[in-house]
Amino acid sequence: MSRLGSGLASYVGFVPALLLLGLCFLVPFAIIVCYSFWETIDYSVVHHWTFDNYRYFFSVGSYVSTMWWTLLVAVAATVIAIALAFPFAYWLSRYAPQRLRTFLLVLVIVPFWSSYLLRVYSWLTILGEKGVLNRFLQWIGITNHPVGIFLYDRPAVILVLVYLYFPFGALTLYSSIDHFDWNQLRAAMDLGASPLQAIFRILVPQIKPGIITAVIFVFIPILGEYLTPQIVGGTGGVMIGNLIANFFQAAEYTRGAAISLLVAGFIVLLLVIFRKSLSTKEAYGA
Amino acid sequence: MARDVEVASRRGRIARAALGWYALAIYVFLFAPIGLLVLFSFNANRYGTFPITGWTLTWYRQAFNDYQVHDAVSTTIKIALQVTVISAVVGTAAAFPLVRSRLPFREGIRIVLILPIMIPGILIGVSLLVLFTSTFHRTLSPETAVIGQAVYTTPFVILLVAARLQGFDSALERAAADLGANAYQRMRRVILPLIFPAILAGALFAFTLSLDEFIITYFLIGANNTLPIFIYTQIKFGITPEVNAVATLLLAGSLLLLALAFLLPQLVRRARLRPTS
Repeated sequence: MSRLGSGLASYVGFVPALLLLGLCFLVPFAIIVCYSFWETIDYSVVHHWTFDNYRYFFSVGSYVSTMWWTLLVAVAATVIAIALAFPFAYWLSRYAPQRLRTFLLVLVIVPFWSSYLLRVYSWLTILGEKGVLNRFLQWIGITNHPVGIFLYDRPAVILVLVYLYFPFGALTLYSSIDHFDWNQLRAAMDLGASPLQAIFRILVPQIKPGIITAVIFVFIPILGEYLTPQIVGGTGGVMIGNLIANFFQAAEYTRGAAISLLVAGFIVLLLVIFRKSLSTKEAYGA
Repeated sequence: MARDVEVASRRGRIARAALGWYALAIYVFLFAPIGLLVLFSFNANRYGTFPITGWTLTWYRQAFNDYQVHDAVSTTIKIALQVTVISAVVGTAAAFPLVRSRLPFREGIRIVLILPIMIPGILIGVSLLVLFTSTFHRTLSPETAVIGQAVYTTPFVILLVAARLQGFDSALERAAADLGANAYQRMRRVILPLIFPAILAGALFAFTLSLDEFIITYFLIGANNTLPIFIYTQIKFGITPEVNAVATLLLAGSLLLLALAFLLPQLVRRARLRPTS
């Protein structure tokens, strides 16, 4: 029973997790990989290797444009969410009353962990035809009939996505801004930098890892969004997650598998590229 | 020069005030939609929107008498309890070697254990759908939904317990060993009590995540309903005040559990610190 023996014994704890995540995460993923290269003939899957599912996806114009729109929506929502989160995190870390800081931080995180479906749904009561926004516009007399433009298109999807992921951006940015030594900003301004120059040339470069983490953790989940486009997006706001769902609900497993693998492959690629920026400390949620 | 400083400090004050107002606007943005939802659940207006025509509990009464809501609530809680037990046990067991073993592949295993958090839920849902229906020819049921949710919640427990294990002083364990405690006693009397707050937080967290989980459940539950699935099928037909009432109850439930997940571990720790007579 040397060091190796006790080492192996301590490995035992992994067994249940590896069974659960191996059998129910990695194996299904491997099956998806296989399915994406197999054929469906007469509603049954034939183990015949082919690229047809991928070729099919790229041959249909509306699928390809949905893919690009998904990327565009994800980029737009991420940029807006981070841009809104930065001044907020700056305020929280520099100006918010010391005593209230933890409370104010928790107040931002709470919506993030409360029901995701309800947070999407709540926008229906605002943007819908009988929603708060329309009532308000009618009340102040801008229109006298409900306007349908707020809902069921891409702007609504982007707005709700910003709403959903803002807390994560704010939290991540705050945790890196919080380590910043404000004297450096004062020094830069003493040397003649304007406040904005000081922020962008001194603060931003130092919190770059935090910004990258925030961007990645906001961008990646948006790529797989299903509910937001489904509830507020209408036909114009369809994203790739809805395509995947449609294929699997129609039992077209092999074609759906190909799209799933494209999305999963892209995400894994992003994670590999940015793995150094995604520090374990943030990943441990400490 | 003095005037420069004055101008700068006045600018600073303006910037500071502007940021304060901005932060207030952000909080309004974050809480207004949810707040309106809660407000409309008490509003007599049967379109579930403005104007407020009077205060009522009718929608709650309606929800409490709806057998579909009953079914959905009991399915949701049953699933959440199973998911909580599985992820607490499996997650705690995995946290030990993750933090302590010095064997190779640890980094690789760590990535596999954390990946389900990073991969969008829809991919977990559809891949398990294929596994259950196409590979194993199983019928979808609440049990298949439990498995799918556990894949997603277990990594959170692993992270919470691992963070706690990393934080505690291993000298305590060595001291117990020096005093003659065997491996079982060390685990039972020293380690488990120390990491119990983290396990508790992890379990409550897993329960909350399970209550609110939508997309994985949507693909794996078959003909049954959980509360989020019920709400989703209802809002496809438009907003009703009854859905607002159900939504408010679900929201209250998850906020309560979150508060417990934050507070209970601290209370446990504090209670322990008090000398026992």
